[in-house]
Amino acid sequence: MRWLDWYGDGSTIVVDIGLACCALEFEAATGLVPAVPGAAATVDATRLAAGGRVVVVVSGTVTDRLAPAVAAIVDAAGSYGGQRPTVVSFGACASSGGPYWDSYAVTKGVEQLVEVDVFVPGCPPPPEALAAVLDDISGRVAS
Amino acid sequence: MTGHGSIVLIEQNCTSCMICARECPSWCITIDSHTETVVDQPAGARARTENVLDRFAIDWSLCMFCGICVDECPFDALEWATPQALPARTLTALTHEIPDLSAH
Repeated sequence: MRWLDWYGDGSTIVVDIGLACCALEFEAATGLVPAVPGAAATVDATRLAAGGRVVVVVSGTVTDRLAPAVAAIVDAAGSYGGQRPTVVSFGACASSGGPYWDSYAVTKGVEQLVEVDVFVPGCPPPPEALAAVLDDISGRVAS
Repeated sequence: MTGHGSIVLIEQNCTSCMICARECPSWCITIDSHTETVVDQPAGARARTENVLDRFAIDWSLCMFCGICVDECPFDALEWATPQALPARTLTALTHEIPDLSAH
């Protein structure tokens, strides 16, 4: 699993659960933040500073088969920060099932598994939307 | 150029015909309407009814931003708009009703 130190100061460690095409937008968003020079920013979760937070981004279609794994990752992420991680539902699929809401195999939103803090609309949402949400969560003014 | 950040409703153009709701691939549009008898008809004319829109809602958590509703609307009641549909703390807050959709 990849832990991104989003701002380079340990305040916000971001984990992406990339399940479908929205993961590409997540990758594009990493390019928007100077402190995240691609894979070089991959950090250990121990880089989390005191008072920092772990943000789990669910980007893509959550299938019923994968649902337990998604819930387990969110649980595991919580064990690092000492508190429940902030969960971002990124895109239509993660939020409500999106175009697959009527599929027998698709979870109708990740909220059925874990508590979600922010829902980002879009199919896919633009990378700027994720950057803005992270700025908001971490108390930085959205640029 | 108008961006594709969200879709706005021009309420007075909407005839509640349901074409957008039925063509939407993700069924993210909800429409409620009722019919009313037209009162100011000329003498001797057959009684007519018209649709009155009660509710028009787009669930941004489902919307694919494909624009099929904009293309299909025969009355130009739906339009692209540049402002992005914004993230929300709850799923229900992502369902926008007529007042939210009318704002330019």
